[in-house]
Amino acid sequence: MNLTKRSLFTGMLAAGIAAGGVVPAFAQQRVEIQFWHAMSGVLGERVDEIVKRFNDSQTKYAVVATNKGNYDEVINATIAAYRAKKAPQIVQIYERGFMAMLLSGAIVPVQDLMTEKKKQVDFSDFIKPVASYYQYKGKLMSMPFNSSTPILFYNKEQFEKAGFSGPADTWAEFEKQLYAIKSKGAAECGSSLAGDYFWSLMENYSTVNDQPWGTKSNGYDGLDTEFVYNKTRLVQQVTRLQKWVNDGIIQIAGQGLSPQQLFTSGKCATYFASTAAHGGIEREPSIKWSATYLPHEADLTARNSSIGGATLWVMKGHKSEEYDGVAAFLEFLAKPDLQVWWHEVTGYVPISNTAYQMAKSAGYYKDHPTREIAILQLNRGTPTPNSQGFHFGNYTQATFALREEMESVFANKKTPQQGLDDAVRRGNELLRQFEKLNAGKY
Amino acid sequence: MPAPAGSTRGLKRAHFREARLPLLLLLPQLLVLLLFFFIPALRALSQSFVLTDPFGNSVQFVWFDNFRRLLASPEYRASIGVTFWFTLAQNALTIVVSLVLAFATDRILRGRGFYRSIILLPYAIAPVIAGILWAFLFNTAVGPISFVLHGLGIDWDPNRHGIDAFLLVTFAASWKHICYDYIFLIAALLSVPPSLLEAAAVDGAGPLLRFVRISLPMIGPTIFFLAVMNFVYGFFETFAIVDAVTHGGPGGATMILVYKVYIDGFVHIDLGSSAAQSVLMMIFALVLTVLQFRYVERNVNYDV
Amino acid sequence: MVERTRGIDIACHGILILGGLLVCLPIYFAFVVGSHTVSEVLAIPPPWLPGNTFFANAAAAWEKGNLGRLFVNSFIVAVGIAAGKIAVSLLSAFAVAYFRFRWRMLAFWLIFVSLMLPVEVRILPTYEAVANVALPLQWLVDALDIGRWLGIEVALDWNMMNSYGGLILPLIASATATFLFRQFFLTVPEELAEAARIDGASPLRFFWSVLLPLSVSNIVALGIILFLYGWNQYLWPLLFTTDKTMATAVIGLKDLIPRSDTEPAWNIAMNAALLVMLPPVVVVVALQRWLVKGLVDAGK
Repeated sequence: MNLTKRSLFTGMLAAGIAAGGVVPAFAQQRVEIQFWHAMSGVLGERVDEIVKRFNDSQTKYAVVATNKGNYDEVINATIAAYRAKKAPQIVQIYERGFMAMLLSGAIVPVQDLMTEKKKQVDFSDFIKPVASYYQYKGKLMSMPFNSSTPILFYNKEQFEKAGFSGPADTWAEFEKQLYAIKSKGAAECGSSLAGDYFWSLMENYSTVNDQPWGTKSNGYDGLDTEFVYNKTRLVQQVTRLQKWVNDGIIQIAGQGLSPQQLFTSGKCATYFASTAAHGGIEREPSIKWSATYLPHEADLTARNSSIGGATLWVMKGHKSEEYDGVAAFLEFLAKPDLQVWWHEVTGYVPISNTAYQMAKSAGYYKDHPTREIAILQLNRGTPTPNSQGFHFGNYTQATFALREEMESVFANKKTPQQGLDDAVRRGNELLRQFEKLNAGKY
Repeated sequence: MPAPAGSTRGLKRAHFREARLPLLLLLPQLLVLLLFFFIPALRALSQSFVLTDPFGNSVQFVWFDNFRRLLASPEYRASIGVTFWFTLAQNALTIVVSLVLAFATDRILRGRGFYRSIILLPYAIAPVIAGILWAFLFNTAVGPISFVLHGLGIDWDPNRHGIDAFLLVTFAASWKHICYDYIFLIAALLSVPPSLLEAAAVDGAGPLLRFVRISLPMIGPTIFFLAVMNFVYGFFETFAIVDAVTHGGPGGATMILVYKVYIDGFVHIDLGSSAAQSVLMMIFALVLTVLQFRYVERNVNYDV
Repeated sequence: MVERTRGIDIACHGILILGGLLVCLPIYFAFVVGSHTVSEVLAIPPPWLPGNTFFANAAAAWEKGNLGRLFVNSFIVAVGIAAGKIAVSLLSAFAVAYFRFRWRMLAFWLIFVSLMLPVEVRILPTYEAVANVALPLQWLVDALDIGRWLGIEVALDWNMMNSYGGLILPLIASATATFLFRQFFLTVPEELAEAARIDGASPLRFFWSVLLPLSVSNIVALGIILFLYGWNQYLWPLLFTTDKTMATAVIGLKDLIPRSDTEPAWNIAMNAALLVMLPPVVVVVALQRWLVKGLVDAGK
């Protein structure tokens, strides 16, 4: 009887395992890794694909990706969860949040983690602008994931109609072009103002033209940094933008209107936007478009632009086996072929030199020349202390203050100088608070 | 049985003298109040004296620094200004419009119920929906009213011009609240003694004069009461409208105080400043209530 | 009014019709926009008359905004707030008006104080309170260092986020209804309570068989007002629900409003707005008399 029972049991077990429907009680449960991100829509689907690929490639870990909303919502959700001691293992935080995350005491530096877990990631392979933004004391604090930079999209037909082959290199010439386009009726408006214009038209204006945004190498050299962008050529740029708004050259998309649509519908001739906008623009074939570098000031050499986008941070307070999983996932993400794929389907830049070379040698940029502009612009020239990045505390709040002041400028309630002065005053107050709170930690 | 002075205030003459039962009856309310009123209020107070990082790992005691910074900040003072003008504008608009409507309703014989039903509708509509509806009407791209304004040559753009955004929010807030004032004013007008009006009519006063000279003064206390209620509404309950429509912009033109508390606390995670703002608002609300009781002498009802 | 004046009467009707139109204008346009397609809505000039895709849009709005689920949430929250607040307030008002006990005045003032500070004034700390209702206990535990005595780490956590409790309880925490009932109870004839005492009835019996029936009209009126208040709540569901399936209808509507990175589907948004405002409107129209009585009594 015993023998029969045992063989029966074994038989059932074998059948069950063979059928795949039964998981024996002694089998390993996957270690779950929570990954919170801000990628919605098509980008979100791409993230889900990556996660699925990783989960399918091994059996030890299961990454669970959740879209928590936009970047602000993700960082707020992370903070709330952290305070409730329920933080995820991996979060995607925008570049603006670098200092907040760095000095939070709540993160594990990525380079440390990968070294400790003996993962094969070549940290010197990341492209310079990306590495320099997210490094602290020579170590990479977070894992680059989706990095972009602003470029200039333009409507080829409308430029040709006004008699130009393409946008000029310098702001002065570009301005003349936009006015001509509008006056000749080639387009209703010269440029559609993107939601992140403070990044593409102001911060990146400063990096490309080697203008300091703050002292101490834009905050890299100390917490006692101060904003100085109200004393640089940026004032000229803002004056220019205000004039364009008043003359109807720039259209500010209102509530419910998409700035990208103003461009893709042919209403506006140009659109300063992230290279990641490629995906959306490519899907609207109604206009003949192309892209080129951001303009620079005629009397200054054009430097590299700065990156935007986000990186992946690892949160403290988890178990060792979970960190093993995190390291495995990050290693997976760093693989060049995955990076090339991500770059091609989203428009974000390839973050490692190897990935870039891979795409190049496969002839990708011959078929999609505009895709290469971003990375060429990022690597252009030698970086200066003003073009390596922005390391400012309380930077989300400071950016909000800057945007509020710019709204007043665009409504002609303040002059460009006044607006920038007020933005700097508010920003400096925030920097002093950050300095006070984090004294001695940087 | 002689009772100690003061402790029988608001006590029924025929009452019960149990000791434990009332405590049990009060327990639910007091428990909820403790958890969701007293403790948060005290917490706001304590948080207003510290500087803290969003993750809560560094906390520094800074005494009144948060308050000092707040009161010195032009943005906070601008927010006070915006709140003042906003509450004033929608208060005046609401009272005037509802007064006119109440006067008209009082005059007519037929159809009162019908008109009242229509005018009462916005009471059912959430402030946020009111905001969305008006935001649409005035939207620069698709709004019908905006279309008309542009046709008249007016450069209407709530995304650019602060005053346009301010007007938009004021209209939406007023529109939603007119019905509330209207109901009270009708009831008040009904309670004006007809004999007074008849006497005045006999003396030759027309309806308009009767309204201005007799009815208005008699419903004065109601108007005053409504002014207070409108103020409270505009101060606190318009959060939804601002959040759905303008987000405090452009350039801070619709950044009312209650919205600023939310932005600083939840979006910027500047907990010290948000708590300090909460404390200042609490002090203000307390002062307001005390004044109300002095001059109005009736119980306060905020959310009803 | 005393004399018949045709002129003024007509003017009054005119004013009222104008007022009615003003009230209905946004709702009418919501209907117009909600019954067109997106391209029709974006056309210049915008449409003035309703189109014919109302029901298709309604179905899309229902689908996209997950309104089925959200309506259930809104309903539960609204009824919960109405029932909860009324129940709690009746008991407290009864206790404070009908009992003489040692802590009476203290209880009275504690409740009274809560009238002074509307919820909006303490947003962040209330959020914290909901995120961990057991937080005060945690402070106590930390302060007394109980963990050390017991040799273990004591972490008390009662998270009410994304729960009906979290959406309902903080909004019960104000004493407006208590004061209304208290005022009403003070107007109830003394003889009734005296008779109950003489008969030897217990206080609860008195409450149940005498006071409650008398309070019915107040309860109904207040119930309506609170239901509307609960259904139309915005700030608290916004903060306390990070899970989209626990949001209320009003918050779901907010997510349908076109923003700058999505298609300007105003037709769906307006249609959804009409759907979301429907239940409260039905309540107001059907139960008008009670509502008006309730509002006016509350102001006295």
